[in-house]
Amino acid sequence: MTTQTKPTPPSSSALNLPVRRFTVAEYYAMAEAGILTEDDRVELLDGVIVEMAPVGSRHVGCVNLYTRWLLRLVEDRAILQVQGSIHLDDDTEPQPDLALLRDRPDFYSSSHAEPSDVLLLIEVADSSVGYDRNEKLPRYAQAGIPEVWITVLPERIIEAHTEPMNGQYTHRHIYVPGDAITPGCFPDIALSVSEILPD
Amino acid sequence: MTTQTKPPPPSSSTLNLSMRRFTPAEFLALAEVGILASSDRVELLDGVIIEMAPIGDRHAGTVDIYTEILPSGVDQGTLLRVQGPLALDEHSRLYPDLMLLRRRADYYRSRPPVPEDVLLLIEVSDSSVDYYRNEKLPRYARVGIPEVWLTILPERVIEVHTEPAGGRYTQLRTFRPGDTVSPACFPDIALSVSEILPG
Repeated sequence: MTTQTKPTPPSSSALNLPVRRFTVAEYYAMAEAGILTEDDRVELLDGVIVEMAPVGSRHVGCVNLYTRWLLRLVEDRAILQVQGSIHLDDDTEPQPDLALLRDRPDFYSSSHAEPSDVLLLIEVADSSVGYDRNEKLPRYAQAGIPEVWITVLPERIIEAHTEPMNGQYTHRHIYVPGDAITPGCFPDIALSVSEILPD
Repeated sequence: MTTQTKPPPPSSSTLNLSMRRFTPAEFLALAEVGILASSDRVELLDGVIIEMAPIGDRHAGTVDIYTEILPSGVDQGTLLRVQGPLALDEHSRLYPDLMLLRRRADYYRSRPPVPEDVLLLIEVSDSSVDYYRNEKLPRYARVGIPEVWLTILPERVIEVHTEPAGGRYTQLRTFRPGDTVSPACFPDIALSVSEILPG
């Protein structure tokens, strides 16, 4: 037997542990059973139920501006989905702020949009830009979403990510107030960055 | 507007995300509605559902040896609980390998044991010793479990951690084959380490 005074334990708990992950089916079963409720602002990312940051008014206002301009410019040529789910795969179902989806007669009421339905995804980031860039963007690329705009409110920029290949977007264009931004799916329209990101 | 070719994304998914955490009640509900199956070997740690390593033969056999030689019964005023739940705190529900509990007439059928009920807690570790040392021991110390034996199979040692103070155990004694080890709650009983950890 040996006796010693112990060293202080490590500052503890980055939780480097194997977390039990959930499938999309299990995720919905939780909602059905009332374990997850409407009050849960969550999305499913690689089987992990992630809590989304509360949406501040600046974030909401930006989503509202996008909604107005995209509806005006795109009209009935696509479905504009605001803060709804996209079924990326069996264990990932994020809720991007906005999505332009292929027109579908049922308005996606029978099933969530899948990557092949998505023309453009838009995320608005206030403090969560690291999460959008590091966690969500690679997954969108992996799923082959053709174009993602990350709107970075503190920096007043829109990052347009395109040309997904091998799990990453190979091109990034940064738009600043004064620029006009055009989605690849509708080359005839142009949004004014100054309108989307007013002072 | 600036254009650039992007660097590859970070090697991905340290999952430094704010996970949706579960309460013990939700954790139990997940099992009741069948989302967590009996084939899931999981525990709840700080609201996160953790997958436990499968129990190997050597691990299971060691638990059986302990079960045979540990004092328990009406005469001792204790119950021996094997791989059953412990309500560690309001965010955790753990399943230690063995616990000597204060005897209760209802065998803890009406409520799970809480730290004050635990006289001795024993973990058997085959490969995951860091998990026990870094994640579980500090938590056991914080809630004041008086004595924890960490049985490390690859090293053939039993670490006896006692005197919890300030969120850690301040005393560590290490026992090897040839030694005898006594629980602080039963100082008269001497267990042979060689019997627990045969060659």
